[in-house]
Amino acid sequence: MFKWLKKKKETGVKELPDLIALFSESKDFLQYEFPQNPQPFLIYYLKTMVDDNTLHRDIMPYIKKESVQTLEDLKAEVPIENIIITDDLQKINDGLLHGSVVIRPGKGGKECAIIKAPVNFTRNVSAPEVEFSVIGPKEAFVESLDNNVNLIRKRLPVENFKMKQIKIGKLSKTKVAVLYLEGIANEENVNTVIQRLEDIQIDQINDSSYLAQLISDNANSPFPQLIDTERPDRVASVLGEGKVAILADGSPLAIIGPTTLVEFFSAFEDYFLNWIIASAFRTIRFVAVLFSLLITPTYVAVLTYHYELIPKDLMATLISSRREIPMPPILEAIFLELAIELLREAGARLPTKVGQTIGIVGGIVIGTASVEAGLTSNVLLIFVALAALGSFTTPVYRMSNTIRLIRFPFLLFAHLWGLLGVVIAFCFMLIHLLRLTSLGRPILEPLYPLRIPDLKDALIRLPFSFQSKRPVQLQTENTIRFKGAQAKKKNDFDE
Amino acid sequence: MHAKVEEQFKISPYLVFFLVHSIQLGVGILGFQRVVAKTAQQDAWISVILAGASLNIVLWLMYRILRNKEGDVIWIQQQIFGKMIGGLLGTVWIVYFLAMSATVLRTYIEVVQVWMFPKMETWALSLAFLILTYYCLAGGFRVVAGICFFGVVLPMYLILGILFPLEFAHFYNLLPVMNHSAKDILLSAKDMSLSYIGFTTLFIYYPFIKNPQKSYKWAQFGILFTVLIYLMVMVTTLVFYSQEQLEKLIWATLTAWKIVQLPFVERFEYIGISSWAIVVLPNICLSVWAAGRAARSLTKMKQRPLTLFFLLLIFIATILLKGRTEIDVLNDMVGRVGFYIIYGYIPFLFIVNLIYERVKHK
Repeated sequence: MFKWLKKKKETGVKELPDLIALFSESKDFLQYEFPQNPQPFLIYYLKTMVDDNTLHRDIMPYIKKESVQTLEDLKAEVPIENIIITDDLQKINDGLLHGSVVIRPGKGGKECAIIKAPVNFTRNVSAPEVEFSVIGPKEAFVESLDNNVNLIRKRLPVENFKMKQIKIGKLSKTKVAVLYLEGIANEENVNTVIQRLEDIQIDQINDSSYLAQLISDNANSPFPQLIDTERPDRVASVLGEGKVAILADGSPLAIIGPTTLVEFFSAFEDYFLNWIIASAFRTIRFVAVLFSLLITPTYVAVLTYHYELIPKDLMATLISSRREIPMPPILEAIFLELAIELLREAGARLPTKVGQTIGIVGGIVIGTASVEAGLTSNVLLIFVALAALGSFTTPVYRMSNTIRLIRFPFLLFAHLWGLLGVVIAFCFMLIHLLRLTSLGRPILEPLYPLRIPDLKDALIRLPFSFQSKRPVQLQTENTIRFKGAQAKKKNDFDE
Repeated sequence: MHAKVEEQFKISPYLVFFLVHSIQLGVGILGFQRVVAKTAQQDAWISVILAGASLNIVLWLMYRILRNKEGDVIWIQQQIFGKMIGGLLGTVWIVYFLAMSATVLRTYIEVVQVWMFPKMETWALSLAFLILTYYCLAGGFRVVAGICFFGVVLPMYLILGILFPLEFAHFYNLLPVMNHSAKDILLSAKDMSLSYIGFTTLFIYYPFIKNPQKSYKWAQFGILFTVLIYLMVMVTTLVFYSQEQLEKLIWATLTAWKIVQLPFVERFEYIGISSWAIVVLPNICLSVWAAGRAARSLTKMKQRPLTLFFLLLIFIATILLKGRTEIDVLNDMVGRVGFYIIYGYIPFLFIVNLIYERVKHK
């Protein structure tokens, strides 16, 4: 409980009046008296937490009634469910803090009635902004847990949809929900999640990404190990696959796991498009990410050490663009990469409209000017801009940040040992990924351990008729999604 | 007593394909042609096949020795020969695996120094590789198997580099076929077998395989794949170079890569040598892992301090080895020891094991 409360408790909060005195120090705490026969009712509540409509429509009129004499009468009359009559200070305290109205008979009597009348200000469900898709559903999570669960449950009207709830945070007491489909999701995964959530020691959970960091397998890895999404359709879909979702009250992001590295590069829109086109887009994304990771380090490596690698004609272009640049390739590259990072960070911190202006100023003016000033070569400028674009193709925002960050060690190794350095840095990343797990399952799956059935939805996405089994990686309790057999159409050629 | 491997740390049988293949394909393939073609000349490709075929038998012997046993070779040796002699033989294995990894690492660094960075400090690159190795080993055997897997899959594109020289091939270089005596061809086959050694690490990681006997066919496929790649490289080399030329080439494969020309790449060997790091790393990882594991079964100490100690030994060894001749001597020595292990000790162990099993079951 609250530290300050505990201290006071030891010194004096043993009686209801002490508690009331404590609350009275806040301006939004209200107390009235209703003179009434044979005894007056005292009423307490936090103005900012209570719904005025409920209070005036469903509570006040009944208190004023002549026939209502005791708390039991009140409980019978007021049309609100779950009215508690208690003298437990803890419960009264919690009730007040969560928007309940506390009513007490004026003369003596320690017992109080706690009537729930909380007000909920939430925004309406709006279109996804981070994971926007051109086609497909246009709803995204909001900050209310109940609302979010409702969005998912509407898409999965089955009785084995289970929701476990835990409260986390000494101060924030955030409601955290674990969602899964019983009989499909592996019990082990669910237990791992719940176990890790219960072990969390923290004062505040302000967003579900706190949870993602606290329960991930390796907190010291730059790679995210759980996906967060704002799309209810995506959550419903992965629940059906047998994954586990975690939602926190006050957060518009759901966390899903266990996941794989390739899943970070699959947009949910891939499932709305025809499989050929979706596969092509996915492939483009993988190539873009590899390009984005390796192009500047390769540039630095080649221009620092391996001029011979470049054919004569191409060399001429490169040399002429670098002729007047006073800096070694590594400084040139770091300068430009940092410039892009600066633009991105500035754009992210500023309001949308100003951010766009910054983008134009930065992208066009600074870029052109630095080439004209002879600080960078225009070839590298193209590479860096393309690399930035490449990293932005990653559908999961967290992953695109990682890709932007790990480029810098690659650059340093490229400067140190040329192409060999790039390969060594790559090996380091590879071993790191091999060691990484998501809720205890290898993150490089289905590439390693090689699981051929899971390749149906990895680097490419095969048509739905191939997706009749759940991923092997999740070790689901029911592996069959649907029966794959379909009536084959025959035309005159087959007859 | 020996430590039993828990189920969750075991690997699938098919991964044995990659484990066997990846350690056979190391630095050797960059320049084995000159040595092998010395006696058999244009018939060297027959030696490649012959040496490869002999491995099938050795592999069968190995699986026969390991059958129905839950321990590695160190444990088996102690069972058969007793604590003292068994322990001594175990030490030989450890030294052999360590020498193998030191050789591979030092030879690779030499290639880098000769072809890419003449002024590269040996210790720097060696340190980088050993840190990578440690990072890999600390993840457990599953990660070691993973790096072997990627060490085979990722550098596949380098095979294309071998095909480019075919544009300038003189296929009549291969003629006349079979005009060397059987003795010459066998001598070449013996030289060839030096390139194939290394898969004896199977003796150590065998307890880590789920349904180990099922992995037998994968191990055979692994060897077959190795033989195919060596054969491809050998034939390409033979038709591309004349015999006189080949005698002077230490790194024939690398020299052949120089021919590759793409619109945006002129000197393919730079890409080849750099990418080769992904091929060499699994070699080092697997053999150091095998040494550490063997030492663990022998001494009952923890694998981490043992491995760190071994890595330090390898580091010192790579620094102390200087110059072409010393590296050559080491390569030759490790090859020779490997040869006697494969064709001398393994059949011997097979027979002793057979007697041991008979006696024990009576």
